[in-house]
Amino acid sequence: MANRGRFEIIRDILAIIKSSNNYIQFTPLLRKSNASSSRFKKYYAWILEKGLVMEVVDNKGNKYISLTEKGFKFLEKYETIVNFIEEFEL
Amino acid sequence: MIPPPNLFHNEFGLGIIYSFTIIICSLMVYFGTKEIYELSSYKGLKYFRLSFLFFAIAYLCKSFISFLLFFLGISRIIDMSPMAFGAFALFMFMYFSSMAVFYLLYSVMWKRWKSHPNVIYIFHLIAFLLSAGSILLRGRGALLGLNLCLLLFVVFSVYIAFKDSKNRKAKHNLYPVYVLLLVFWILNIFDVLIPRFLTFFQMIVELASIFMFLLILYKVLRKTGPE
Repeated sequence: MANRGRFEIIRDILAIIKSSNNYIQFTPLLRKSNASSSRFKKYYAWILEKGLVMEVVDNKGNKYISLTEKGFKFLEKYETIVNFIEEFEL
Repeated sequence: MIPPPNLFHNEFGLGIIYSFTIIICSLMVYFGTKEIYELSSYKGLKYFRLSFLFFAIAYLCKSFISFLLFFLGISRIIDMSPMAFGAFALFMFMYFSSMAVFYLLYSVMWKRWKSHPNVIYIFHLIAFLLSAGSILLRGRGALLGLNLCLLLFVVFSVYIAFKDSKNRKAKHNLYPVYVLLLVFWILNIFDVLIPRFLTFFQMIVELASIFMFLLILYKVLRKTGPE
């Protein structure tokens, strides 16, 4: 279940961004994710590196986080990925 | 009097159909899992996909060897002249088929072997040595014995993974399929190394191998296909 845990947290982070009109700042995202700060930072770095989210800076210099097309696709395919890994014992 | 059918031609034709069925199945598994791998970057998926890519390349080499044997009318690829050409084809077949099996094993074992990141390099080395041995060793017995030892190691590892599996009692457990795939792998190696080794069981082994690959392909497509 370790992988489900990892992918579940990533799914939750992405779902929070999506439900916030695809526009959320870092601190509220961390708070809503219910993950420890260190864990959150680790997963956030991963989703940023993999291009599932992007950071957008507005006119006032505030940084927001948005899902990319790949991020939306991940949410859509989440069940498929997790079921596949379980079925094939990977 | 009606002449008997040319068995050699039929065997060659069936062998090519068999190899290409497996190549197509393997490539469909590889490309069918491309999207979920790109989204998840999951290591187990990476090794699983590589395994099927290597199976496809190995069976392509096998068809090439069968073609050379048929075309040149020789019984062992190593007897081919110039020798380097046959040796290269045999080396490629041995290397890719061994690595296909090692990748499949690693895809189910990588979490248990996380603390030994060099395992995959050891597998590459073993595959390389086996491939070189298949060319250099004239005594087939030693090579076949080595392959059998490897098969036992791989089956034992899969058994360990099976024992620890949470899905052990699940109806759709794939471990028996993996083990059978490994058995067919070794039979295919025997088939290439010892001409006519499988003469009697050839058709059964080929049909069973195709069935295994189709079963895995079916499961992959069912999981990754449209809802």
